[in-house]
Amino acid sequence: MFKPRLNQIEILEYEKGKMGISAVPGSGKTHTLSALAANLILREKIGNEQEILIVTLVNSAVDNFSSRIAGFIREAGLLENVGYRVRTLHGLAHDIVRERPDLVGVSNQFSIIDETESFRMIDQISTEYSRVHSEVEDFLIKPDVDRNKAHRSRNGWNSLITSLNQSFINQAKDLDLEPDEIRLRMNKHQLKDILLEMAVEVYAQYQRGLKYRNALDFADLIRLAYRALISDQQYLERLRSRWPYILEDEAQDSSRTQEQILRLLTGPDGNWVRVGDPNQAIYETFTTANPKYLRSFLKEPGVTARSLPHSGRSSRCIINLANSLVMWTRENHPVHELRSSLDLPLILPTPPGDPQPNPPDLPNAIYIKYTKSTADEEIRNVVSSIKRFLEKEENQQKTIAVLCPIGLHGEKVAQALQNAGVEIVEMLKSTQTTRTTARVLEKILLYLANPSDPKNFAQAFSTYKNSLEHNDEEKQLLQSITSTIRKCRNLEDLFYPALGSTWQTCIESSLRADQITELLGDFREKCIRWHQATILPIDQLVLTITNDLFTNPADLALGYKLALLLEFSAELHPEYELADFAMELSDISGNARKFSGFSDEDTRFDPDMHKGKVFVSTFHKAKGLEWDRVYLLSVNNYDFPSAQSDDKYIGEKWFIRENFDPQAEVLSKLDSLSKNDISQLLLPPGEATLKARLEYSAERLRLLFVGITRARESLMISWNTGKGESRIALPLESLYTIWKGTHETA
Amino acid sequence: MNAKYTYSSEKFDLTTEQDSVINSSLNACMLLSGEAGTGKSTAGAFRLRCLIEQGVPGDSILILVPQRSLAAPYFTQIQSHDFPSSSMPSILTFGGLAQRMISLFWPIIAKNAGFSFPNKPCRFLTLETAQYYLATIFDPLLQQGYFDSLTIDPNRLYSQIIDNLNKSAVVGFPPSEISRRLTQAWAGKPSQTVIYQQGQECALLFRDYCLKNNLLDFSLQLSVFVDNLWPSLVCKEYLQQTYRHLIYDNIEEDIPVAHDVIEEWLPKFDSALLIQDTGGGYRSFLGADPQSSQRFFNLCSNKLIFSNSQVKTSELDTLESALGESLLEHKLINQYYSRNSVLPFSVLSFRFYPEVLDWVVREIQELIDKELAEPFEIAVLTPFLSDALRFSFSARFSEADIPFSTYRPSRSLSDEPAVQTILTLAKLANPGWGLKPTQQEVRSAFLGSIANCDLIRADLLSRMLYRPSDDPAKPLKSFDNVNHEMQSRITFTIGEKFESLRVWLFENSIKNTEFFDHWISRLFGEILSQPGFALHNDFDSANAVSRLIESHRKFRQVLQPTDGLQITGSAQEYIRVLEQGILAAQSLTTWNEQTNTNAVFLSPAFSFLMTNRPVKYQFWIDIGSQGWWSRLDQPLTQPFVLNRNWPDGKIWTDFDEVYNNQHTLARITAGLIRRCRSHIFMCTLGYNEQGMEERGALLMAMQNILRQVNFVREVPHV
Repeated sequence: MFKPRLNQIEILEYEKGKMGISAVPGSGKTHTLSALAANLILREKIGNEQEILIVTLVNSAVDNFSSRIAGFIREAGLLENVGYRVRTLHGLAHDIVRERPDLVGVSNQFSIIDETESFRMIDQISTEYSRVHSEVEDFLIKPDVDRNKAHRSRNGWNSLITSLNQSFINQAKDLDLEPDEIRLRMNKHQLKDILLEMAVEVYAQYQRGLKYRNALDFADLIRLAYRALISDQQYLERLRSRWPYILEDEAQDSSRTQEQILRLLTGPDGNWVRVGDPNQAIYETFTTANPKYLRSFLKEPGVTARSLPHSGRSSRCIINLANSLVMWTRENHPVHELRSSLDLPLILPTPPGDPQPNPPDLPNAIYIKYTKSTADEEIRNVVSSIKRFLEKEENQQKTIAVLCPIGLHGEKVAQALQNAGVEIVEMLKSTQTTRTTARVLEKILLYLANPSDPKNFAQAFSTYKNSLEHNDEEKQLLQSITSTIRKCRNLEDLFYPALGSTWQTCIESSLRADQITELLGDFREKCIRWHQATILPIDQLVLTITNDLFTNPADLALGYKLALLLEFSAELHPEYELADFAMELSDISGNARKFSGFSDEDTRFDPDMHKGKVFVSTFHKAKGLEWDRVYLLSVNNYDFPSAQSDDKYIGEKWFIRENFDPQAEVLSKLDSLSKNDISQLLLPPGEATLKARLEYSAERLRLLFVGITRARESLMISWNTGKGESRIALPLESLYTIWKGTHETA
Repeated sequence: MNAKYTYSSEKFDLTTEQDSVINSSLNACMLLSGEAGTGKSTAGAFRLRCLIEQGVPGDSILILVPQRSLAAPYFTQIQSHDFPSSSMPSILTFGGLAQRMISLFWPIIAKNAGFSFPNKPCRFLTLETAQYYLATIFDPLLQQGYFDSLTIDPNRLYSQIIDNLNKSAVVGFPPSEISRRLTQAWAGKPSQTVIYQQGQECALLFRDYCLKNNLLDFSLQLSVFVDNLWPSLVCKEYLQQTYRHLIYDNIEEDIPVAHDVIEEWLPKFDSALLIQDTGGGYRSFLGADPQSSQRFFNLCSNKLIFSNSQVKTSELDTLESALGESLLEHKLINQYYSRNSVLPFSVLSFRFYPEVLDWVVREIQELIDKELAEPFEIAVLTPFLSDALRFSFSARFSEADIPFSTYRPSRSLSDEPAVQTILTLAKLANPGWGLKPTQQEVRSAFLGSIANCDLIRADLLSRMLYRPSDDPAKPLKSFDNVNHEMQSRITFTIGEKFESLRVWLFENSIKNTEFFDHWISRLFGEILSQPGFALHNDFDSANAVSRLIESHRKFRQVLQPTDGLQITGSAQEYIRVLEQGILAAQSLTTWNEQTNTNAVFLSPAFSFLMTNRPVKYQFWIDIGSQGWWSRLDQPLTQPFVLNRNWPDGKIWTDFDEVYNNQHTLARITAGLIRRCRSHIFMCTLGYNEQGMEERGALLMAMQNILRQVNFVREVPHV
């Protein structure tokens, strides 16, 4: 039963109009917003065929909201799933476009390509463009740099160009600018710019590619939803009538188009509740997301501003540390422009008698490692700290997270933890369950590509069997039979034995025939069926395999989704053979491709389901989650710069001419073109880079704030020297001073 | 009250209402209307029988239907063992009639109709071949940036341009009007209307191409018949003398120009029976115009209405009314259900697609085992039927040993494994084409053509003996080229069949004088259907091969040397366009082969309606899908605007969109309910096939009904 606090009650009493809520981390905003949605339904504020529309940021939050609202509705004895709709912005945009595709020139059965496929297309076009147009390299690369080295290095030239073009395309779509329109404006202002010309051409080619595939990317979905709404007033009115209340979560990450779409859907006199924490706005770099939209909404005439300042999530000392970061930033940050990066209110602990009291302050609840260490040393320190922590029995029911600014570092930490025998829970690009399912399918496809190869068969068999749970004895038996299969020369004797002989005889093993049958028989029979199925189109082959192997609904649904993904790949690449499809799956199983499955792990991640294990992730992915103990890594002046003279920036590559961030420069020009702002167009090169540095530094301050506020009981922060040049991040240095002061006082 | 039909040697159970229609005088002009399931077509079929038994020559009877599948009751009647012997009546669609007349009168009308070579024969295009020619005209325009603002697969673009031409013909306005009509009705950004102009330009170029090459697509067939042939005295007299009796079924599903012609023709018939399904009009996106068919009310002297359903129960009748009101009135319904109502439907919720498939198959199994339902009494209906869904169902039905048939006209020939096998073998037999198959394709061809050849042996064969780089003229090496050990691994039996196949392919490359479809027939007859080869006694594959043969035959019949392709060139060209999906062989699936079995019927809801047969149980899959609601073939066509009833200059607004979609949905669901005898199982899904959540109008309407049911039953929650 939800017992709201006083300021939550104020929100639950909302009936109509516009309301903005500033909520600190852990203040129960999801619960409050869910309860508000249920309240509006129970108070019969909506009619038949009307719905409360809840818009949130990520899929996992959709499930979270849906189940909470369903819970409230059920408690009240009403029909679940009636009267509300929870959507991400993409989901909402899909609903809008799917209902009236004619308004935006889309056929009924359009496909949606995921980020990986989109990236792949842009990468291909960008690489080809830069190969043909050497002037781009001449313009950007320092004259004294070995160009081959720039090409070869990780995150080198191709990666820079692709990422630049990708950001440009996303931004242009968010600004609803088509390639032709951009060209028209460039001509109008007589703007000759090598980078801009490249980006527009890549954008045009990319759009052509999408059209021929009858596909939209995520940015198109949103852009076209906006277009549909502005092109037909009646359609807009119908949707306004369908959704008389809009509740928006994570409003601090609202992008320009999201704000425009929701503003249109709400209408001038509509009902719109926006909840967010400007201090947790961490998706701003090179996107049009900006906390300024929420901030200005809170100040709009007619908007009731509320706040949820109490938080029972963290212990008081952790709250104090987070508040110290806010105060230091606001009052003492050496760069004045960055002082507004973090907003008030400060986080207040919950009042006495609150149903969610703050955890008690533990001794040594906070540790900030001030001394210098390399990246590898930092990982070693963290691993040994976690091992020590988990050795104590009382900690084995605790939840633990290791958060890194970038996924690559997280993967290294995960590997080190696994090597040290610590169980991990990852949430990088796909979940473990998704990756396992993809890996099983990948190995089976690889085997079917070359079905007479015993090594491939052994690998398919062991990958599948290892995805199931086994005791030690079974594991040993499996290992034994796998190595025997590897030696089986003529696999046709195993699958299709000659008359008078049995398949078991071709396994030269010390195991008994019944053991062999038990271990291998079933998989062998399935393989025979799959042999026949290889003549089917790839999606149908994968569905056959999926149906044979999996019983869990989430696995089956994932298999179905993977089958559709491969069907789409087959359309894009008619020349693909089984081995190529296996490669597609290996991108998912190897965590190189973002892919969301259907397991609870994917749709409703709950750290409390993984006690005694270590969650490894990026800071960004950790948003909205909390753990008993949190490690924050790499808090140095490369990952968390502060606009200081010796800071380095991720967007400014070593091989690019000094103080020049090509992405920032080209996006700034695009922004100017969208506004027809000539003065901004005429800024000297490098100005946009300086501005981008400030924006990036501001966002990193908020990212650090998000990291700190993930911890309930204990928090460990460390930094590393990166490639040897990095130093402790300025805000961490200040926190260290503050923490050391209180620590010593205590 | 049943009466006995008295004109036959045998007795049939017919109602008195049916009896009165059947036994009407030989000069009666009747309009029979009623809901689906009231026995109208049965009466029509017996009327045919009655006419013939009374001595009317069969070939003086014209049975007109809007779509061939709707003629099934008449074919069944004619094929019945006791049907009186007579000359055959003509069972035609209006398009079929037009084509027949054009063939007959071509030399007379070709010049006036604007064809460039009136002295040469004409060629009728199927949908496929029309798309093929359109593609050749269209591709250069695409390269120039036409339709840049659309997101659409080019193949769908072709079909929508052809559809617009067809709309102009079925409604009866010139193709040069298409763009103006669409533009006038457009409510969105003006820049979008450029696609209509471009569509118009392509349509006119295509029309011009057809006229210059004596080609007639469906739209041109209709226009030539309606504008040039029908008005001519010679044609009119021919038709009026040939056909003295008319049975015109499902008039509401036919096109306005057909109604125009029949209106004029009607007084000349000795007898006429026009049948109208009230509430029909499912083919409106193809130009069907129920409103236009209303004119016959005033033109027929006798009007009869059948009002007693022989199919649906009173509970289903209530569901039809409740669902209709819920969809059309937009208010909470409150009058249909009482505490003790028996519900003829159930709504089941599932989170994922595979769960729903498993459940449906289990439930059908139970219906067959426990309720003793016959498989043909069950239909599984979806808004769309994707390949993946069709396959998933097929696999489950096969596993459960439940016979099933699927009908999905859009399934492409190139997806059929037997077709792929034949195409690969054709490439191997004709290395000169330069269409080199991959090792995996060759492997699949061996797997699909040699009996008992498993994947491993097919793989070994293809790796060892498919060597296109050694001698491009002989891509397959002899089995003797592998060592003895490998030969025994592959087995000599398989080796022997491989050799037969290889030698046949080597000796039978397609000669200049041979048609590809003849070659396929020989390959199939001489090799693949023989014992020891995989298609021996495989009727499904034989069916696919037969479709392939038919598809190519039609393709090459319209391709002549003037098109720049020699006979063999047409085979290569055919393979190219087939593999690109331009040819889908959509028009070739005959209805009877798909439905004459005792099998569970799996199809899109619309296709089921067009079979016009009732079942006992229906399963509606994914009622949340927008596919139940949204218009087909967007964004280049607009069936409601390119329609006679659309006022000139009126803008198509969102209100019209919703109004028409809701009414279409209400009509479709009513049509489905009227074709159900017992129970409808409706399934909702958390995530659709693409993993997205959907909450379409049908789901919302059913929720409304469920709310009332739960309210009267005081169910606290579901």
